[in-house]
Amino acid sequence: MLKGTQTGTNNYLVKQLPIATAFLNRKLEVVHASDKWIEYFNFPDRDVFGKKIFTLFKDSHKNWQKVLNDCLKGKASVNGAERFMDSEQKDRWFEWTNVPWHDEKENVIGVILQTEDITDKVNNELNLEKQHLLFNDKSEIAKIGSWNLDFINQELTWCTTSKRIHEVSLDFEPNIDTAIDFYKQGYSRNTISMAVERAMVEGVPFSEKLQLVTAKGNEKWVIASGKPIFKHGIFLGLMGTIQDISEEVLADIKTKENELLLKTLIDNLPLNVFIKDLDSKKVLVNKSECDYLGVKNANELLGKNDFDLYDKKIAQISRDEDLQVINSLKPILGKETRCVKKDGTVTTFLTSKIPLIGDDKTANGLIGISLDISTLKQKEEELRDLINVTSLQNKKLINFAHIVSHNLRSHSANFSMLLDFLINEQNGEERENITKMLVEASDNLLETLENLNEVVAINTNTNLNKKPTALKETVAKVVLNLAGFLKNNNAKIIDEISDDLVINVIPAYLESILMNFITNAVKYKEPSRNPRITLGTAKSGKYTVLSIKDNGMGIDLKKYGDKLFGMYKTFHNHKDARGIGLYITKNQIEAMQGKIVTQSKVGIGTTFNIYFNDKN
Amino acid sequence: MIRISAIYIIDDDPITVFGIKKLLSTVAECDEITTYANGKLAIDQIKATLENKKSLPEVIFLDINMPIMDGWQFLEAFISLAIPQKIRINIVTSSIDAVDRDKWKWYKSKTHHTITFNNKPIKKEGISEITKVA
Repeated sequence: MLKGTQTGTNNYLVKQLPIATAFLNRKLEVVHASDKWIEYFNFPDRDVFGKKIFTLFKDSHKNWQKVLNDCLKGKASVNGAERFMDSEQKDRWFEWTNVPWHDEKENVIGVILQTEDITDKVNNELNLEKQHLLFNDKSEIAKIGSWNLDFINQELTWCTTSKRIHEVSLDFEPNIDTAIDFYKQGYSRNTISMAVERAMVEGVPFSEKLQLVTAKGNEKWVIASGKPIFKHGIFLGLMGTIQDISEEVLADIKTKENELLLKTLIDNLPLNVFIKDLDSKKVLVNKSECDYLGVKNANELLGKNDFDLYDKKIAQISRDEDLQVINSLKPILGKETRCVKKDGTVTTFLTSKIPLIGDDKTANGLIGISLDISTLKQKEEELRDLINVTSLQNKKLINFAHIVSHNLRSHSANFSMLLDFLINEQNGEERENITKMLVEASDNLLETLENLNEVVAINTNTNLNKKPTALKETVAKVVLNLAGFLKNNNAKIIDEISDDLVINVIPAYLESILMNFITNAVKYKEPSRNPRITLGTAKSGKYTVLSIKDNGMGIDLKKYGDKLFGMYKTFHNHKDARGIGLYITKNQIEAMQGKIVTQSKVGIGTTFNIYFNDKN
Repeated sequence: MIRISAIYIIDDDPITVFGIKKLLSTVAECDEITTYANGKLAIDQIKATLENKKSLPEVIFLDINMPIMDGWQFLEAFISLAIPQKIRINIVTSSIDAVDRDKWKWYKSKTHHTITFNNKPIKKEGISEITKVA
């Protein structure tokens, strides 16, 4: 009875325990259990009493059986955690405390079980572990390490990533001094020292881009950030991160270096370089292009097109080229182009236009490269002029050699023939006749030599220089010298030359030329009328043109044109025709880099247009 | 002595004309030697002769360099005339220019007349060779 009552009392006491508790007898059958225990496990059959524990926990761990048996032998066990699937099929975790149940005589009469639901705790721990792993991964990948400075204990801790960044072994123990010493001497070390100092003294957080030298001696760029921690106004220490940004910084430096290199290269190339967009607007120009277009700053050209910069016609040609390159995607290479700026300056370029092809395989602009070949072009022209002059002189030389050889030969042939006659001639009268002819031949030879000499002098006398000469004055002088001759022939000179006209000539040649043309005009007058000679001038490019127009007999230029200025060519049956005047005149004009153009009509008259080259 | 009915000398140099005449007198008997100072005078005479159906010269001595109408222009005009009989034309020049020789060859190939090219001075030994009826 007593026992029964006691049991009943015990039962009731246990039932009310606030902790999940169960009492098992030696057969491991549930004797008492707190409501909490029954509730915890939410057994399908709430009547647990008298049931064996392993009937209730079918899937329990083998180890537990051993623990319970140990308890029955009086051995208290360590706490154990056990996973249990509840009726709702959810994972639940319990911490078990198994202790022997003693009676008053210290006999083991069973086992007392105490369980605590630690599901939430376990889940939290798992989460924490997960987050920790995740954080480590993240910091590993981002190369962001963390550190913590405990000011009170003067302890500095680095995370694994921080240690990796510093390239120290994982058991390395940093302190504030060694940590600062990792920063590169100079700017980096000074900056971090001051930043830490300020953070500790003034509570100012920092974030600096600095260089450090790792334990292995490698230089790295890092962003070191730190933040002071206060609790109730008391400074506890600093926590912060260190991020390895070497790759980014190096890439950035490399990019900047490349940019600088490219810019220096493009700017200093002796070529005009530009990039145009699809509307032919300039989006990049180099220094040469700026210099060429006479602007100091590239911004003055950006956004402008060729119509803004060049002569309209030239701009249209350039735009057409741009469109061709953009549409065909084929570059134009080394094309000789003539550029005329708005102020009229002409430049010759060797231009290449290369399409800028984007990912979509269409052009989104073009690169232009122009090489100024104006000086080259000018030199080429000068060279061509020189070749022309040389070949002309060569031709003249050959021509002159023929004239010399022909004329001298004809005289020498006469001498030879006459001397041969003289030797064999017996007749005194005939001998005298031959001797007379020999004298004549000798005079002819002398005259020929004098003429040739004059021609040679014109072509070789480089001492004579061109001088600005008043044309009207020279004409007046020549007319005065010829006054008698003109009067005898009833010739009239009509001078239409302006008073102040000055031409660049060798004065002696000008006189000789005027003398020759005027005398010729009178000599070859049309017998039925009095000679009228009109002198006038006009301008033609680099020449001043003097025209001498007569109303003489004229000459058939179809027949004689090519011989008009030849040596010893005469075309009229005139007693004074020697065939030397015009030849010399032509040589004099050519010696002054001029030329003659003749117009003539038989019976009407002749006009000689004499082109005087204004240049020296 | 060769007998030639008529000879023309077309040359503007009196010394050459004198020389040719003097040389001719040693090799040929000629009824009529006429001289012309340029090609135009000679060709005009020849045209007139043809029109009048009179006899043409058998031999012509021709200079190249002459005013008004030179030797080549004369040849050009002469070979275009309808003259059935062969006439001998002796070019007499001081020119040694290859161009002149080429021109001679060209005219020679264009006509049935006999054309020779002779450099001045003409020697006694050579005159008889070129003074015969073609």
